Amino acid sequence: MPTFRILSFVLALLAAASAWGASAVGEHKLRIVASNYPLAYFAERLAGPWATVTLPAPADVDPAYWRPDAKAVGAMQKADLILLNGADYEKWLAHVALPRLKLVDTSAGFRDRFIRIESAVVHSHGPAGQHSHEGTAFTTWLDFDQAAQQAEAVAKALIAKRPELKTAVLDGLKTLHADLAGLDSEVKRITAAKPGLPLMASHPVYQYLARRYALNLKSVHWEPGEMPPEKEWTGLDKTLARHPAKTMLWEARPAAAVADDLSARGIASAVFDPCANRPESGDFLAVMRQNVENLKTSFQRR
Amino acid sequence: MRHDFYLAWRHLRHHRTRTLILVLCLSLIAALPLGLHRVLDAGEYWMTRRAEATPLLVGARGSSVDLTLGALYFSEAGVPAIRMQEADRIAATGWADPLPLYARYRVQGQPLVGVTLDYFDFRGLVPAQGELPAILGDCVLGADAAERLGLGPGDTLASTSENAFDLAGTYPLKLHVTGVLAKARSPDDHVVFVDLQTAWVIDGLGHGHAETQMAAAQPDSPFGPATVRRADAGLLTYTEITPENLGSFHFHGDPATYPISAVIALPHDVRSATLLRGRYLDEKSETEIVRPLDVTRGLLQNIFRVGALFDGILLLVGAIAFLLVALVFALSLRLRQREIETIYLLGCARLAVLRLLFAEILLIALFAGAVCAAVLAAAAPYASDLARHFILS
Ligand SMILES: [Zn+2]
Repeated sequence: MPTFRILSFVLALLAAASAWGASAVGEHKLRIVASNYPLAYFAERLAGPWATVTLPAPADVDPAYWRPDAKAVGAMQKADLILLNGADYEKWLAHVALPRLKLVDTSAGFRDRFIRIESAVVHSHGPAGQHSHEGTAFTTWLDFDQAAQQAEAVAKALIAKRPELKTAVLDGLKTLHADLAGLDSEVKRITAAKPGLPLMASHPVYQYLARRYALNLKSVHWEPGEMPPEKEWTGLDKTLARHPAKTMLWEARPAAAVADDLSARGIASAVFDPCANRPESGDFLAVMRQNVENLKTSFQRR
Repeated sequence: MRHDFYLAWRHLRHHRTRTLILVLCLSLIAALPLGLHRVLDAGEYWMTRRAEATPLLVGARGSSVDLTLGALYFSEAGVPAIRMQEADRIAATGWADPLPLYARYRVQGQPLVGVTLDYFDFRGLVPAQGELPAILGDCVLGADAAERLGLGPGDTLASTSENAFDLAGTYPLKLHVTGVLAKARSPDDHVVFVDLQTAWVIDGLGHGHAETQMAAAQPDSPFGPATVRRADAGLLTYTEITPENLGSFHFHGDPATYPISAVIALPHDVRSATLLRGRYLDEKSETEIVRPLDVTRGLLQNIFRVGALFDGILLLVGAIAFLLVALVFALSLRLRQREIETIYLLGCARLAVLRLLFAEILLIALFAGAVCAAVLAAAAPYASDLARHFILS
């Protein structure tokens, strides 16, 4: 009987030790916070099973206009890496206390290529309140070459934090770069077929896309869910007189009434989702592939 | 033997005043050098441990002692400011991680130090109550600072400059206490910590304006009224940061030019440390790099020299006191001549007198020892404080 007791005690000890070991491995996972979904996606692809990646902005909010509260900041302070888009994307950065050594400014490598926005209107939409687009254009990842550079910055930060993951991260970066390069060459191929084709954008978020792929893009300042007032429509008509666009790019599918009014003017609506927050289905790559497909349709029209 | 002690005890009790004076003299003479060494040891421990934990320190060129005392021990004298770009430069070398800190102000006698959140990790400072600062205007108190100010999480603390030499206008800001740090037995215990950006707001580099709401009817934008920040008209600036006005806080100018007191550099390895130190060899540069351990070693050597001098003096005083005690006993023996004769007449041996004397001396020594131990025990918690005062002022 004592032998059995000792044996069961040893077994219990072993179980406890293995449980502890498992939890230690769990704790060893890198805690990564990303300020928008593209960065979270890059981190998930590169760090895969060794990290838990969180996107603190709620699912229904554009992370560009999200502001962390004390609780969210407290959670970020406990992270191992905080991935920032840079290009003035994180307007809240000056208002919070974060460990600077853990911040990774993923766009710092092309800081000198940022697009400045002059004389923008201040406006408001949705529950996030008013905002303006003055300052620096921040949708950096819609230039897929810049996206690749941001992915590389994420990889570098991961390797600096966990040198033992170097080969795995670099392998992941290789396939991610291949995917982004595929998107890049596809958009180049599409736009090269009709250079200078006039296009409209519903919201000024496509600056880097337009620059990289030489789009002849003019922008209004509309929201997919809201009917623009009459003044905006007359403004659009004026623009169209000089800029005969047949397509308007939208961040999301526009309201049916807006789409109908547009098609009455001969303008089709095409979704090119910047995918700043986690999509309901699919991932960054899937959304971007659909975007490219939508763009292709616009370029093939007539 | 028991009777000897009984007689000795009765005798000592009978001459209370004499006994008390003897015990006090002896105990103080023993306590002084022991206490002094305790203070010196505490100071050495306190300074060396801190310096050992801080590999390299970059600050304004000048006195490396002032720089070390200001940045590691938050001395009242402070250090001349350098620019934030110094921290960026260290980071850019890839050889070391920079920890900028800004220790310019004091709040109600406690040092107010602006740090990045990395500092808490580096020093192993964790909140015993509440949280670390999260939002602009938050502060966390060192254990001793919290006790002295009588504040805890949820309280507020007004930042006003109390430095008479600081003529620059500062931004009066109501700080929100978010937490109290666990006692670290280091200079950090006395500090009110804020995030570097909050320190810059206090410095007047960042502020919040009241925003004016433009007429809602204005149709210049399709989706609602516009808000315009008016820089003119000297609008109300906030002295407390609240969730409502946080968004209006902004900084002016280039953050790289913002002031800091020093940068703690954490080199990745020995080679990086050497390379980094090489960067600061230029005598004309405005900044210098020091190894705090070298600086404190120099300081401690001076302090120990003073300590040795004290020891010498105390040894002399001790010898004199011993002679005086011997004299007191010799005199008391003469006064007790009749008493001793009575003991002989009672039929006691000569040895009995000696034993009685020995018992008396032993009792006095025991009492003195006890008093000495009590004094030292009572003073022990203040040893590091005393050392701090001794070294920093
Ligand atoms: Zn201002």
